[in-house]
Amino acid sequence: MNVSRREFIQITGATAAGLAVSGLGFDLSPVKSRAQMLKTQYARETVTICPYCAVGCGAIVHTGKRGAGRVINIEGDPDHVINQGALCSKGASLKQLAENEKRLLEPMYRAPNSDKWRTVSWDWALNEIAKRVKATRDATFTAKNAKGQVVNRTTAIASVGSAAIDNEECWLLQAMMRALGLVYIEHQARI
Amino acid sequence: MSKSFFVDTTVCTACRGCQVACKQWHDLPAETTQNRGSYQNPEDLSFDTYKLVRMKEREIGGKLQWLFFPEQCRHCLEPPCRDTAGQPEAIYTDSATGAVLYTANTRGLNVKEIIEACPYNIPRASQDGTLAKCDMCVDRVKNGLQPACVKTCPTGAMNFGDREAMLAMAKKRLKEVQAKYPKASLLDPEDVRVVYLTAFDPALYHEFAVASGYASGITRQVALRKMAAPLTRWIRALG
Repeated sequence: MNVSRREFIQITGATAAGLAVSGLGFDLSPVKSRAQMLKTQYARETVTICPYCAVGCGAIVHTGKRGAGRVINIEGDPDHVINQGALCSKGASLKQLAENEKRLLEPMYRAPNSDKWRTVSWDWALNEIAKRVKATRDATFTAKNAKGQVVNRTTAIASVGSAAIDNEECWLLQAMMRALGLVYIEHQARI
Repeated sequence: MSKSFFVDTTVCTACRGCQVACKQWHDLPAETTQNRGSYQNPEDLSFDTYKLVRMKEREIGGKLQWLFFPEQCRHCLEPPCRDTAGQPEAIYTDSATGAVLYTANTRGLNVKEIIEACPYNIPRASQDGTLAKCDMCVDRVKNGLQPACVKTCPTGAMNFGDREAMLAMAKKRLKEVQAKYPKASLLDPEDVRVVYLTAFDPALYHEFAVASGYASGITRQVALRKMAAPLTRWIRALG
């Protein structure tokens, strides 16, 4: 590196001036301010309600206008009266409900005492559930308790769920479970 | 107009909405986590985790206090990482917002040197040596939106806006909090763009809650580089 005396003075002079101004030296990072485009710039916006708990926060779903219309982003809806744009960690992760390579697309079955899961058809799974519910219910149904009071119940089956179903579906689920005689009906968000 | 965050840890409930919203907006993958006896997860920041709610259980004045610290890059006014790198194409300060931004050109920088330069121990490298950290959601901010972590915060712990407004909010809130917690303080408010308010000694929250060795200014190495910078630039201009 060849620096003449004159250039050396220029350089050290500049450094000294810089030190005088900033206390540390020049801030030489160039003035840079890049325009940025939002990934949601051209997305379709749809409002929805978070399915997870009873608070009922509003969210905006951004989906692609072209192609398969997949979800690009989901965030709190600032115009929603309940959450005013905020979302908790579960709500903030809503996108994963739709965009998730780990999501199961078919029912899986693990036989008793087996350590393997296998893919089964919906028809097989639903029939199997119905068959086993019927068998368990018939085997354990109690019409009257020890005191002779009418109870019409089974304590051998429990229902857990579901936070992600709506009001009308909740009614259907409740009616179905009560008709079977279940008394252990719980919501998984309470567990 | 330069921007700043005000993070009021006294109202943080550690719901981790900010942590998840950050991942969501940046399309960052999940981490493999394990139960380490704390609700805090993952254990540390990483190339894929820019925001982490740190949780500490402390006994203070004979009472259990569960301390929450939603950690992220502080976007220093004079960032030692930027000055240590000395390569504006890798690390630069966005002039409109004050955000300290890392580009793909951080690959090739001396990873250890940059991380050690950070008084808050924030930057993290991928396997190929590219560095990443919080980018202030500069894309959102430039389009009039709040950063994802601030937008999602249900309790008002995370705040964002013009620097003067945030500093005013921080000072006002500090007075209120001090009535109940005499040891409450703002962490390095004059040096950084992410100003935390803690109720207790910041060291109880996180080892790097306040700058390590920041009071003495910048490191010798950075000082030398700053002084040499006009020379380096001049040599580059010749090249």
